[in-house]
Amino acid sequence: MRLEVEGVCFTYASSRILDNITFGVSSGEFLGVMGPNGAGKTTLLRCISNVLKPHHGTILIDKDDVKSLSRKEIAKNMGVVPQTSAIDFAFTVFDIVLMGRTPHITGMSESLKDYEITKKAMELTNTSYLSKRTFDELSGGEKQRVIIARALAQQPKILLLDEPTTHLDISCQFEILNLVKSLSTEIVVISVFHDLNLAAHYCDSLMLLKDNKIVSIGAPENVLTPANIKKVYDVDVLIKRNPFTNTPYIIPYLFPRRNKKGMTVHVICGGGSGEQLMNTLAKSHLNVTAGVLNVLDSDFETAKTLDINVIGEIPFSEITQRSYETNLDLIKKSDVVVLTDFPVGFGNLKNIEAAEKALDMGIPVIVIQTTEKRDFTNGKLKDCFARLRDKKAIFVKNVEEAFVTIGNFKGKREFNKEQREVIK
Amino acid sequence: MMNKKTSHKWVFVCLLFALLFTIVITMMIGSMGPVGGGNDGISFQAFWDVISGRDSSSAFRSIILDIRLSRIFLAGLVGISLAVAGTTMQGVFKNPMADPYIIGISSGASVGAAVSIFLDIKFDFSLPILAFLGALLAVFLVYDISRVGGKVKVETLLLSGIAMGAFLSAITSFLICMTGKQLHFLVFWLMGGLYLASWKVVATAFPPILLGTVGIFFFSRHLNVLTLGDEPALNLGIDIDRTRKILLTLTALVAGVAVAFSGIIGFVGLIMPHIMRLLVGPNHRTLLPASALAGAIFLIWADTLARTIIAPTELPVGIITALCGAPFFIYLLRKHKGGVM
Repeated sequence: MRLEVEGVCFTYASSRILDNITFGVSSGEFLGVMGPNGAGKTTLLRCISNVLKPHHGTILIDKDDVKSLSRKEIAKNMGVVPQTSAIDFAFTVFDIVLMGRTPHITGMSESLKDYEITKKAMELTNTSYLSKRTFDELSGGEKQRVIIARALAQQPKILLLDEPTTHLDISCQFEILNLVKSLSTEIVVISVFHDLNLAAHYCDSLMLLKDNKIVSIGAPENVLTPANIKKVYDVDVLIKRNPFTNTPYIIPYLFPRRNKKGMTVHVICGGGSGEQLMNTLAKSHLNVTAGVLNVLDSDFETAKTLDINVIGEIPFSEITQRSYETNLDLIKKSDVVVLTDFPVGFGNLKNIEAAEKALDMGIPVIVIQTTEKRDFTNGKLKDCFARLRDKKAIFVKNVEEAFVTIGNFKGKREFNKEQREVIK
Repeated sequence: MMNKKTSHKWVFVCLLFALLFTIVITMMIGSMGPVGGGNDGISFQAFWDVISGRDSSSAFRSIILDIRLSRIFLAGLVGISLAVAGTTMQGVFKNPMADPYIIGISSGASVGAAVSIFLDIKFDFSLPILAFLGALLAVFLVYDISRVGGKVKVETLLLSGIAMGAFLSAITSFLICMTGKQLHFLVFWLMGGLYLASWKVVATAFPPILLGTVGIFFFSRHLNVLTLGDEPALNLGIDIDRTRKILLTLTALVAGVAVAFSGIIGFVGLIMPHIMRLLVGPNHRTLLPASALAGAIFLIWADTLARTIIAPTELPVGIITALCGAPFFIYLLRKHKGGVM
């Protein structure tokens, strides 16, 4: 069983809705279609089911052109599940699922076989217990399962779903999509998704639509790249891996990446000690830099997620001279340096030295000093701290205090700027 | 499932008995009947003689079998037509307000009837024939207006039916104003009544009504699927345009014939489907025959009331159907708030 879509174009009221769409799907494949509102996702499904007739191009089901098939023959091959369904008349759930047999029935009434297939479809979708209920009594998830059961009663070779879980809670979403996924081992399943992570989790392949064209199609990890998502949705995202399934996991940046004109804060941190500070600073739209951090350090991850310019070092290795110097370069460009209370060993002692250098350069340094034991340097850290104190570093007790202090600097900096302008 | 099927069977058995009972009882009611016949009333014995065929010549026999029974049959046929047409229209339009006249049948028939009186056209069944032609013409026009790019949208059909109805009603009113003579007759016809009844009328009306009703019944499964909406119906393999066209044609035939012989009888086609839906559910395979039987029973009783309540004058039956039907319908609505479909 193979579905081929070849060069399909669809125009509605003189505006192109689909432009030269070509792809193919085989049995056992679950294809997710994604794209912004108005990209043509639903139109594509409607063209495949021939509810809308494409103006150019062909849709082939195993070499049969959909155009040449009657509605009945199409319905024998294809089941369609819309986003939501409303049924005005008080049909029982059993009657509704039985209607899925419509394309297979020739005479006036259903045969025993039709009843059996209906019952089986209801068992598969776990709707048997709803049999005698009417549709409008059901919850959203139950309704959607009933509609899927109806589509299954058609014994389709292709199942089309249009955002089947958009209006459902998270447990219903998984229930429905697990069901669809299990069906997709034998038939072609094409589903429109709004939730990129759900799509990445469930689909074998993905298609990104934008402005009525295919931007990307293929395996989820190839389609869901920051560049593609930026192009299609104009949203900056970070792609991670779902820890359970190893499928791509998309995290959008929660605040817009606008040009930051404020002061620059350089954070020297490690071991998670800088997470809260970097988050707060980034949300305040301050320019933040960080370093030096080992690549596997949780602070490094945080910095990357927040799109912070960070200097990375090979995991578990000592800070090299080169990283140290790059760090100094960043410090040079900053207005204030914050040193957090991370555990210090010989490997990262250079970071403390960098803070010292910052003071030498005349850049203020805020040191967060808590009571936690963090000296693994046989007392060398103590000496460093003594020197920092001598060189007028500002010592604070926690992150909040550090943030307030930075705020004071910010005020002063702006005041100075105004002064300068007045003088001019 | 089984339980429900058996309960449906009981509903049908009850309805059939009720119909039989209705026919027998209403035959006795009226002037010169054993019931309500006043001073001219004859005995049950005489009535039994007529029924059993022992009395084969009296005027009484002719009243019971020729005049009254043919009228009961016509009332039954018209009741069936209106109920079936109403059920079909509510299904096709997915609208609980739809009735047999929604696609312009009544207004078209009215114009036809008004024309026949205005132009003083007189031949056998001149008024019913012109009314029927008017009804069909109106339906055809409404359908044609609603067709955009080879497709008919249900909403457009509904609206053009209303617009066409208003336009044709204006023409009817205009013709009534211009006619002057026989105005009374036309107004009476418009209010609906079964006084045209005769065995000849029954024989004329029966074949098209049978054809239309059976035809619609054969499409009951399609009708079920149509109520799901256009796109789901398409995806379940129904050629919606073709099916809708066939159903509209059959409805026009059935309701057109009913209107031609009995004028515009309101409410039967609107409420019978609703009442029966509450009893047997929305599946058209059971709903259509149940509505048909209920429609027949209801209209026979309504007509019996109409011809006896202020005898010897008779009321237009439309007054009775609305007087009894509307309050009952309101009661149902209150009882099943929002759940009549």
